[in-house]
Amino acid sequence: MIEIFQNIQSQLNGTPHLLRLGRLFSETVLIEIGGEEIYLGFDRGRLIEVTPGPSRKTPWRFAFRTDAEALQKFWQPIPEAGFHDIFGLVKIGRGRIDGDILCLVKNLRFFKDVMALARPSKELAA
Amino acid sequence: MSIEPITGRYLSITVEGAPRRIYFEEAGQGRPVICLHTAGADTRQWRHLMNDADITATNRLIAFDMPWHGKSLPPEGFETQEYLLTTQAYIETILAVVDGLGLDRPVLAGCSMGGRIALQLAALHPDKFSGFIAIEASDFQAAWYDIDWFDRPDAHGGEMGAALVSANISPFAPRAERENTLWMFKQSGPGVFRGDLSFYTRDESLIARLGQIDTEKTPVHIIVGAYDLTCTPEDAKRTADAIPGATLAVMDELGHFPMSEHPEGFRPFFADALCKMPVHAVKAA
Repeated sequence: MIEIFQNIQSQLNGTPHLLRLGRLFSETVLIEIGGEEIYLGFDRGRLIEVTPGPSRKTPWRFAFRTDAEALQKFWQPIPEAGFHDIFGLVKIGRGRIDGDILCLVKNLRFFKDVMALARPSKELAA
Repeated sequence: MSIEPITGRYLSITVEGAPRRIYFEEAGQGRPVICLHTAGADTRQWRHLMNDADITATNRLIAFDMPWHGKSLPPEGFETQEYLLTTQAYIETILAVVDGLGLDRPVLAGCSMGGRIALQLAALHPDKFSGFIAIEASDFQAAWYDIDWFDRPDAHGGEMGAALVSANISPFAPRAERENTLWMFKQSGPGVFRGDLSFYTRDESLIARLGQIDTEKTPVHIIVGAYDLTCTPEDAKRTADAIPGATLAVMDELGHFPMSEHPEGFRPFFADALCKMPVHAVKAA
């Protein structure tokens, strides 16, 4: 799973419009997948660190918790209903968001687009 | 180069004892069909259907911007008011538009909060309409978000609202229309989306009224998209089941803004809905 987020890191850092969108976002986000922790360290929209957990001393602003199967479905070119959005995962009971949710909402498009970077475009998949 | 058949004009009405200048668009001829936009948006959501020659050959589609939305200004003194849409004001506005345009029992089609108010009108003012097409509509939805997120001085409510409602758009939607749909939310005025959601997520009065809707006199057809997280197919089915005689269609590949996010996917469902609505003799204008 860490490789997928490292791939997201290189994609994000090579995508100017996303870097512009996240230019005010300098936070650490915890991604937890079936108990596996990954810390994403952002600096002005750039993903500068992808660090495996567990860690008890890494402060994070918000956390997105889900399971591996749900994320695999989320990253399908055309996901099933409910698996098509991080809030969809929350709504169907396959995801949870903790921490400073307002911080997430203020940067929601950026974070959603970053998480979706591992999703192949439906045009390519067709 | 081409010029679309949609025309836009302004109508002056009175709502809650004060004047409102309402922007409306129309296209087509024949049976009038009032089209209501969702929360935080405007008439542009309906532009694809209004440009559909087959639909407008026999249907006069009329969409209007609610006050505070699109090109309908807020009422005088709005700068000191907190915008909170109410069922009463919403109903009064729609009835005033119907009367102001001299429409004889139009079909009422509404999406999301527009679908909700269509069902309220089906219960409370069925004599004013010939039938109801309630899209992404349900009896009641509690918020799964904090509506105050969308009206803050330290952040752009429109951008946050758009990012939130993107959860309700189907991945089958063409990218361009997905983004156009979100653009309207980004353009909505400060506090408008929040004020609409206040109506949508706090007013439960429809639940007790569903049973009094008489679909023998005015048919009710509910349409819902499988990718709608806000009004799910289960929500729509529960609502349809509570209205004797109501019909329901589930769109597997659409979300909460079908006429706007994926017009080609929505078209057959809307055409089918229109077929379920009665045709009255159209009064000469």
